[in-house]
Amino acid sequence: MNTTQSWIVVADDAAATGLVGAARTLGTEVVAVVAGRREVADALATAADRVLWLGEPGEAPVEAFAPAVAALVAQAAPRAVVGATTPSGRALLGAVGAALQAPVLSGIGTVELSGDQVVVTRSVLGGVSEHRTGVEGTAVLAVDAGAAVSGTPAAAVEEVAGEALAGARVTEVRPRERAGVNLGAARTVVAVGRGLKAREDVALLTELAGAFGGELACSRPLAEGVDWLPKERYIGISGQHIAPELYVAVGISGQLQHMVGVREAGVIVAVNSDKNAPVFSQCDYGVVGDLYQVVPALTAALKGGA
Amino acid sequence: MDFGLTDEQQLLLESLDELLERECPESYIADLDLHHKPPTTFRKAMHEAGFGSLGFPEEYGGTPVDAVTLVLLATRVARQGFNNGYGLELLQAMDIIEFGNEEQKAEVLGLLANGEVPFALGFTEPGAGSDNSAMTTTAVHHDGMVTFNGTKTLITNALQSKYLLLMAKNPGVEDPRKAISMYLVPMDAPGVTTNQLDKILWHISDSCEIFLDDVTLPESCLVGVKGNGFKQLMRNFEMERLVIASQCLGLAECAFEDAAEYAAQRVQFGKPIGQFQLIQQKLTDMAIKIENMRNFVFKTAWMLDQGVPLKSQGALCKRYCAMAAFEVADEAMQIFGGVGVTVGTRVSRLWRDIRGHRFGGGTDEIMVHIAGRQIVKDHS
Amino acid sequence: MKIVVAYKWAPNPQDADVRPDGTVDLSRAKAAVSEYDPVAFELARRLADATAGEVIGLSVGAASIDTPLARKAALSRGLDRLVLVADDALADADGTRLAAVLAAAVRAIGDVDVVLAGDSSIDVAAGQVPLTLAGELGWLGLASVSRVEAADGGLVVERDLPGGTTVLAVAGPVVLAATADAVVPKVAGMKDILAAAKKPTEVLALDGLDVPAPGATLTTLSTAKPGGGDRQATVIDGADPAAAAAQLVGALRQAGAL
Repeated sequence: MNTTQSWIVVADDAAATGLVGAARTLGTEVVAVVAGRREVADALATAADRVLWLGEPGEAPVEAFAPAVAALVAQAAPRAVVGATTPSGRALLGAVGAALQAPVLSGIGTVELSGDQVVVTRSVLGGVSEHRTGVEGTAVLAVDAGAAVSGTPAAAVEEVAGEALAGARVTEVRPRERAGVNLGAARTVVAVGRGLKAREDVALLTELAGAFGGELACSRPLAEGVDWLPKERYIGISGQHIAPELYVAVGISGQLQHMVGVREAGVIVAVNSDKNAPVFSQCDYGVVGDLYQVVPALTAALKGGA
Repeated sequence: MDFGLTDEQQLLLESLDELLERECPESYIADLDLHHKPPTTFRKAMHEAGFGSLGFPEEYGGTPVDAVTLVLLATRVARQGFNNGYGLELLQAMDIIEFGNEEQKAEVLGLLANGEVPFALGFTEPGAGSDNSAMTTTAVHHDGMVTFNGTKTLITNALQSKYLLLMAKNPGVEDPRKAISMYLVPMDAPGVTTNQLDKILWHISDSCEIFLDDVTLPESCLVGVKGNGFKQLMRNFEMERLVIASQCLGLAECAFEDAAEYAAQRVQFGKPIGQFQLIQQKLTDMAIKIENMRNFVFKTAWMLDQGVPLKSQGALCKRYCAMAAFEVADEAMQIFGGVGVTVGTRVSRLWRDIRGHRFGGGTDEIMVHIAGRQIVKDHS
Repeated sequence: MKIVVAYKWAPNPQDADVRPDGTVDLSRAKAAVSEYDPVAFELARRLADATAGEVIGLSVGAASIDTPLARKAALSRGLDRLVLVADDALADADGTRLAAVLAAAVRAIGDVDVVLAGDSSIDVAAGQVPLTLAGELGWLGLASVSRVEAADGGLVVERDLPGGTTVLAVAGPVVLAATADAVVPKVAGMKDILAAAKKPTEVLALDGLDVPAPGATLTTLSTAKPGGGDRQATVIDGADPAAAAAQLVGALRQAGAL
């Protein structure tokens, strides 16, 4: 095993500060292998020590390069390989894990070197427990991608041969109408769940979020069950994990799968009509009441400076 | 003795859990209750998932099922805090499947599939309830037609139903047991008028007076055999009592859970009220009653499945469960204190709805009348 | 079209007992078909019906994944038959090992066109295994699939990605992981459950499969119960909404949260 290198695998996305950060901790030389467009490889050249680029993908989906990425990584046998938790990032990591027959670790908290061994803390079983785990062999880690890397190029981009799997091509991309929201950067987040009765009532919460000067988010059912809010605003185990200073959960019962996404929040407020809702044992302040009465009152209180 | 579930029952309950979570959250039930609306979308979903035709013969798209399974499902729906959400409409449909003509069957099954209530049962009258000999609504057959006159009252779901399953008497026949026939009467037939009765419980079902003034229909509206109406209706009474008892059990379980959770959280004098023995005694007695109800209901269903003659069992079961469930709900409300009577606290709805089962499907007292006679007869 | 649905028979960690030292007792958590896998069953059934194809359920894990109940639970969800690898050697297997066994089973089944999987499992919840399976098979693996249809001997796959909706034409064999809301799965009715008992199940011996040896191993150094559960939970009665709002805003100001 090459104990000086750690590799990052990049799936056509310059958002990679999280990958680079973890890789820097685990190796003196950070090698990025980039599947995707040249501009992404150029961006990575500002943050990594070496950048291997597999060439323009054309119509092939970035996932089609997973075996080529895995072959490069396997040949180098680095101490650690870091990729993103995005759908495409996981496809690259899956191929790497398969090539090395190594587990792909998720839910990563901290990353460190203990002697020559990679040691991570990770949240397991949907967040009910935290393990400190040592890895014997190459550590393959899925981490939050972080922000886009930028700056002055430090490395040259080396184009390397890498065949895409044949047989798949992207025929259409329909961009989202609205620009993405960065819940991770918001100081205050107001989230709403199944307690909301109708789509038009989302406006009540938008107003409350505005009064707090925060962003609006939701629990899974509102993004995936009824589609009242876009998926980028969904907080939970398979959605976003955030740590705002103030988190206000409105009409959210507080199932583990949701609360694990806000465990690190500073102050948690819950508004729910069911006084037995689990959220009330996981918050700092709980208002037991009908959200249709409490939310407008709260908006008014915030605006009025009461 | 095996109190476990079969794999099939367990999987069916898991399917039902999923459907209830999807189609019947507390907010849905509370909304129906508040606005006095029928659970049409839930019934439709239940039908699409095959729950709406359990117990029907296969040739009518159904799946035969034993009484224990049916009771498990009825209890589970009720445990959601949902009164009259499942079970009774199946039994009513079975009357038609058993005794109706092909046209009546097709009509009723089609309505069920759409989540609608096919018919209301027109039995009770201002002067006649369980005493059917006092029935005064008449059905006079003439020239291939039949003409109805009379008044029915407290008819459940009359406004939601397309038909009335009318019990009416041939004035020419002396013997009351041979005078009553069963008819399927369209609610929009000329001469049928309704008057909705405001009530304090069972808001998802309307209750009406129905007036029949020279309602004249072709004789093909007869269901089954002329003069056999009461006997036909009686066929499902045992199962009906059992389904009502299961609902009482499920609703009581719901009230108990709410009360126990509340007792664990409500703090007075520095500790949760569940730490006080007066509350613990209430919870303990509630738990005993629920266990008794559960055993009573499932033993009775088991007897039906085994073909053991029920004799007084169905009446005993219905009387016990309706009364015990109300006692449980009443104590649950007591544990909640003043909060328990506020609209929006589920226990208040459960308390109201369970109260109705002490007369719906036969009063507590009529159950004594039925069971008592049987007990004395068995020992004579 | 020959379609395999890779699913998991797993407990919900919500029902686990977590001890103060962070060790987890799952014995009281009942296992079931993992929460999002029915979406994959439903997609597979629709795809098979459209192509006169076959749907084969596939699960690998400890011996406990093969009980009559577990078989019927899967088979009542629109499968034609079931293939299981149930061996206690897989009891604590990591995702890559499970993917390697799944891949060996897919090869043993033979001539598979598509492997479908759910968004993520209820217990591990990482959404990684389907993509590692693709890696093991050397196939294309696509996650976040919101729609799949047969077309021109191949598939049209629609994906719900952060940048927007992406449509692909896919010819080769492929592993697809569905979004949790790609379709609303039918619940199993009594008829489906009764029919499940009559459908065939094949149990493959782990020893008989070609599974590569692990290339890395994990050692648990310590466990801990996550923090964040010890919040003070001041409850405010919302019966008077204006008073409750004022009380809350006051408390938040005092705590410096506003």
